[in-house]
Amino acid sequence: MQAATPMRGSSGWQFSPIAWLAEDTLAGIARRRALLGYLFVLPTVLGILIFTAGPVVVSLGLSFFKWNVFQPAEYVGFVNYRRLFNDLRVFISFVNTLKFVLLAVALQIAVSLSIALAVSQRMATWLRYYFRTAFFLPLLMSGAATGVVLGYMLHREFGVVNYYLGLLGIPRIPWLNSSNWVLYTMVLAYVWQNMGFTLVLFIGGLNNIPPEILDAADVDGATGWRRLWHVILPLLSPTMLFALVTGIIGGLQIFDIPYVMTRGGPGDASRTAVMVMYESAFKNMEVGYGSSVAVILFILIMLVTAMQFWLSKRWVFYQ
Amino acid sequence: MIENSKNRTYTRREVLRMAGMSAAVLALSACAAPATPAPEAAPKKPAPSKEKVHLRIQMDPDYEKPVGDLFLKSHPEAEIEYVSVTGIDHEEVASKILSMVAAGQILDLGYAATEATQLYAGQGLAEPLDEWVKRDADELKEYFADVHPSLVEAMMWEGSLYELPFDFNAANLYFNTKLVAEAGFEHPPQDWTKDDFYKLAKAITKKGSGGETEVFGYGWTNRLWGSWMPWIFVNGSNLLVEERAPGGEWLWETFYKDDPAAKGRSGGWRWTAPKANDPANVEALEFMVQLYKEGITPAVEMGGGETLSGFFGTGKLGMIPAGGFWVGHLKNAGMKRGDYDVQLFPKWKTQRHQFGTAGLWIFTKSKNKDLAWEYSKLRVSKEAMAIHGWYNGTTLTTPVRRSMLNEERFAETGPEHWQVFYDTLDKHPDTAPIPAPPVSNPMTTLFTSYTAKAMSLEMTPKEALDAMQKELEDLFARYPDMYKRET
Repeated sequence: MQAATPMRGSSGWQFSPIAWLAEDTLAGIARRRALLGYLFVLPTVLGILIFTAGPVVVSLGLSFFKWNVFQPAEYVGFVNYRRLFNDLRVFISFVNTLKFVLLAVALQIAVSLSIALAVSQRMATWLRYYFRTAFFLPLLMSGAATGVVLGYMLHREFGVVNYYLGLLGIPRIPWLNSSNWVLYTMVLAYVWQNMGFTLVLFIGGLNNIPPEILDAADVDGATGWRRLWHVILPLLSPTMLFALVTGIIGGLQIFDIPYVMTRGGPGDASRTAVMVMYESAFKNMEVGYGSSVAVILFILIMLVTAMQFWLSKRWVFYQ
Repeated sequence: MIENSKNRTYTRREVLRMAGMSAAVLALSACAAPATPAPEAAPKKPAPSKEKVHLRIQMDPDYEKPVGDLFLKSHPEAEIEYVSVTGIDHEEVASKILSMVAAGQILDLGYAATEATQLYAGQGLAEPLDEWVKRDADELKEYFADVHPSLVEAMMWEGSLYELPFDFNAANLYFNTKLVAEAGFEHPPQDWTKDDFYKLAKAITKKGSGGETEVFGYGWTNRLWGSWMPWIFVNGSNLLVEERAPGGEWLWETFYKDDPAAKGRSGGWRWTAPKANDPANVEALEFMVQLYKEGITPAVEMGGGETLSGFFGTGKLGMIPAGGFWVGHLKNAGMKRGDYDVQLFPKWKTQRHQFGTAGLWIFTKSKNKDLAWEYSKLRVSKEAMAIHGWYNGTTLTTPVRRSMLNEERFAETGPEHWQVFYDTLDKHPDTAPIPAPPVSNPMTTLFTSYTAKAMSLEMTPKEALDAMQKELEDLFARYPDMYKRET
């Protein structure tokens, strides 16, 4: 193939991008490969721009307006933010969300890591697949369906859970009707449903640990707890970081389970930040106010995630 | 870098950008329709002789289709798209509708209960029906003669009618007859009192050896309709200050001239200010808390009462507030005539009851308003009501037509005292709709939130209602122009 170089045309030298790309040289091949790469990422970039960055920018803009969708928007400056920082319900919902994230992520990681370690032990293959499938299945259910079913099961008076606890002599627990209990109930429901995802991550992470390192640890006498603490967990730390980041982001956005089970109650005890955002924007049609809640939540998620990555330098070990 | 004859340099980045743009332009060019028809283009399809008029109706086709099919017989130019919108309660359905509207989705006909009627009217989303009603007054006389005026008044806003109601539910008390009999009581009379109710509820309640209640005397769910709102009403109060809008004389004069129940009717209800912490309301909530503390009432939960209907049907709950819609619920739960019965709410300071009613409303942005009106009119006709899935066979809600509430309807399912449904309106003309101003959605959130705080004993009724009042005042202050005031 002829090398495509700048050509002299009737009006002087002209550049032909197609010829430049089609150039039969190493540089040309590299250019084509780079272009292919850009084309592959283009849909994702467009998706992020249109469906993620776009709404974030629009939300930020809307948060400075009073708008109920039906009448023209009115610019109000920082009024929504001033109201937000004086709104006790919003404050409670953020506190609830943070408490929820702390408990849910800690429990989810602890339980799924324990199960991952257990199912990675020597056992019949069919049994291993059975456990993996059983723990993963709840993830396939919608949060709303989980909420409805668990709502029936955890009914204080008529629920099957309290019935069996009653047989053991345990008094009825107000799972959904007491401010002291409801957040823990949400955490249990959430962890039960989402544990499968973290479990799969940890099983994958455990499988990726080179067996020779574990053998070496055995030879050096590191068994049991020391083996877990000094060998397995450090090697699993990148997986742990991923599980933490995705778990915390998902937890901060919790909506479906508490909305279906309690609608935020009793009182505001299980009201979350996303629930307040939804209620403000789509129930009360205060789109500007709802957007300001969304912006604050966005900033919070960004800060928490950035902090996690910064802290990860101290504890994440990459092979 | 590449240099051209004009010494213009292109960086690698610029070249790649150009390449990307070229690719995008090429791709778009490939997707776009040709600016001029290609010579070999297929011949144009002949335009249809008559284009179908597309009518989008917010209803569940499982129930609505018989009426839709009937409509299509007389309007072959139309085609109907049913848009089913579901939710745990009416305010959630309203939220979804508002979101759809916000997203630019327009329906022709929406379904709204009292909870959302003023919400849509107040936002200017709903079209007043006055001119159509006046035009077709002769056709509609039979309908209005069959419908209690209080239901019609509840569908008015600031002097105009927005919906022709087709179903309603007044909060009555349902009894599990077996539990009532086991408690040694008979079916109470219509003029029974709150004290009679308390004795009966207490007698029905059964506790196990550990002191935990196994059969509850009375249960309710936390929502705007039903809930503990009937106790506010029979205690002579309301959650909000009631006023009546002027106007509407044209309707009362045309259709209800000789009906004494229509006297004093207005251009619709106005709920202008909160009075949540009125002493009568505090007293009513204290009564609810007392029932809970004594183990007569189970823990209160949110929702439409489906959970409780199961417990009522299985003999774990003696009494519950519900409307005619419960006939269908209980039939589906396996209850038969004689297993349950119904009575008016007991008298406290008054015996004023509450109801909610519903109908179809026309979107102001609909392009087929006349056709939508024709559908609305047909929907409340005797013929259509008879075949609609809500009333044909099982009674899934109470039809507004007095003539449809008869022995035949309830012969198989019960309740034995089905007359109570319309007696609530006929014998108590002061019966009124639940308070549902244009800000009913956020108001309901506050109502249920503080109700839950009191019922979970985290706040006293007085504390909860004081806090509710404060938040309601803030809410109403944000919407000072909720009602168009006459000058």
